[in-house]
Amino acid sequence: MTVISRGWGRLTLSGKVVFTVVPLLLALTVGLVAAIVLLGKPLIDTLAANLPIVRFAVAATAILVMTIPTAFLIIYMEMKIIAQMNLRIGPDRVGPYGSLLSVVHGLKVLMKEDFTPTGADSTVFTWAPVVVYLASVMTLLVIPFAPGLFGQDLNIGLLYFFAMGSLGVVGLLMGGWSSYNKYSLLGGLRAAAQVVSYEIPLTLSVVGLILLAGTMSLNQIVLNQAGWFTDWYVFQQPLGALIFFIAATAEANRTPFDLTEADSEIVAGFATEYSGMRFGFFFFAEYVNVFIISALTVTLYFGGWNAPFAWPFPTGVVIDPGSLGIGLILLVAIVPVVLTLVFAAPFWIASSRIKGWQALVIGFVLTNLFIVGLLGAWAYVELDWVAGILWFMLKTYLFVFTFVWMRGTLPRVRIDQLMDFAWKWLLPAALLNLFVTASAIMVLNVLGKVPS
Amino acid sequence: MSLIPGLGIAKGMALTMRRFFEPKVTVKYPEERYEVAPKFRGRLQLLYDEWGTLKCETCFQCAQSCPIECIDMGGVDTRGRYHVHWGAPEQYGERREESALRRSGRPVPDPAFRPFEPVDLAEVDSVLDDFDHDPARMLDILEATQTAYGYLPVAALKRISHATGAWYAIIYGTASFYAHLRFEPPTAVDQAAAVARHRPAESTYLAALDATLGRNQRSDAPAQAQA
Repeated sequence: MTVISRGWGRLTLSGKVVFTVVPLLLALTVGLVAAIVLLGKPLIDTLAANLPIVRFAVAATAILVMTIPTAFLIIYMEMKIIAQMNLRIGPDRVGPYGSLLSVVHGLKVLMKEDFTPTGADSTVFTWAPVVVYLASVMTLLVIPFAPGLFGQDLNIGLLYFFAMGSLGVVGLLMGGWSSYNKYSLLGGLRAAAQVVSYEIPLTLSVVGLILLAGTMSLNQIVLNQAGWFTDWYVFQQPLGALIFFIAATAEANRTPFDLTEADSEIVAGFATEYSGMRFGFFFFAEYVNVFIISALTVTLYFGGWNAPFAWPFPTGVVIDPGSLGIGLILLVAIVPVVLTLVFAAPFWIASSRIKGWQALVIGFVLTNLFIVGLLGAWAYVELDWVAGILWFMLKTYLFVFTFVWMRGTLPRVRIDQLMDFAWKWLLPAALLNLFVTASAIMVLNVLGKVPS
Repeated sequence: MSLIPGLGIAKGMALTMRRFFEPKVTVKYPEERYEVAPKFRGRLQLLYDEWGTLKCETCFQCAQSCPIECIDMGGVDTRGRYHVHWGAPEQYGERREESALRRSGRPVPDPAFRPFEPVDLAEVDSVLDDFDHDPARMLDILEATQTAYGYLPVAALKRISHATGAWYAIIYGTASFYAHLRFEPPTAVDQAAAVARHRPAESTYLAALDATLGRNQRSDAPAQAQA
């Protein structure tokens, strides 16, 4: 025992991590393989019989796992982009271009003391971040990332989304109330007031879109927007899209409506008493929320995973590798060599400084890039989920960039301005949007031109 | 309030987007440093201790080491008896470290004024005559002076300053800027090093020649040692 404990003490932090994680993973793999081999057919049959449950479990796990790198990426984007806008360089020490800094932040948060104030309701205090985090993560379940790539295609998907999104308020109130601190309580109440106020224009702005689409299933809404980018709902609902975007900004507590947990203020509202990973969950939830509202904006108004153009050429590559016969072997054997030489030749000819072997290395690298590009192009054309996720992520991260950009630009509003704006401007505008949309649909119905 | 709602927001967003693409001002300090002029010595400042008293003890070390003699100061010794001043050598001796020496009648060691030893100024005067006392031809004057003396004595520089009307500090700066001008008489080691630095093949050849001829030291004329 002494030997083990002494050896353990001599390990560095990374060594400790490796020595725990690797055996765990090995045990898990061996156990899984053993289970499949031993149980075999009945297991697979049971899984196949309960496909919806399996699908739900897999989707929930995948989404939960996906949110952490997403939050890391968005935190890094925020640090880097705002720095660039301030004429600074931003993080550049940890990892390439500082890209691992947010990961290090996550580790730091994990290692910090997890403090519970005296007199706090520790159960509620512990569960509040979980509720906030899960509320935002569960909304991802209905977002269609690509054709066929979504957790569940609920026919009330949008309703589910808003219901789950509002659940976060409960978490904020729990955190504020259980902290045994009147400022936390005030912060929680303020956050709740803001989120609840903006929920109304947020939901009302989408009603016009629901009238147009005739469905609340997010997947169906995306399918309705297929074709060229002019088919996107943003061109039929510009006011609705604007109201939705502003209200969603307030929902996610982003600048200029971030007074509930403004990082630049000393007292962090409902999260004042939180530290360690429980604060980390609040923090992560904020950034996951940024991703989610960007994703929802894209899904509802910007065509989701649809490309902005309809591919005008007939897609589908008709190559049957088997039909080439012996030619296939020749292809695999000869083409890379020929390509390497072809790519190397111009460098070798162009500059006498580049030696022959250097030109060959360049040619080899270029050949690999060429083949990877070719494979990517093939995947884009042939597998519609690759194209879908590409376009979806591109659009979503454009909106994430916009949120960061706004944060780098706009000053914070006051609480009374915040409330005024929600109730005196956004709500009437949302109602107007709803009224105009409904009237237009009525008129079109009377004229006999039913909108798509 | 502009007439178009949201115009200010659009302007601000445009500004941040422009900034996004502009070159950044950050200097990654330990790896990168600002280009600082070689003569830059920082900002001159007197520091105060926590009781508000000047920390300066009038030791004149700063004035001694100031390369362009821009530091001039007066003060009182710690008992408030003697007025001390950085100035002519005879007054300089009033510094309290050397007052004991002075009272004992022994000569006061004066390292700060060693470079100021008088030289025969006739050669500087002839050089100045050659160049018409023209401060615009300062580099020529300095080079000719170095050719005459083998180095640039401070006394000669002061003479040049006096005759041409150029500030001594500027002349000193010019002289210290050029690598081939020097303020100390060249030593044999310096010359060998200079030759080795600039003409490596020749120094090898000369060393071989020395070895062959049995000579162990070279004595070039100082004027030819210019790099």
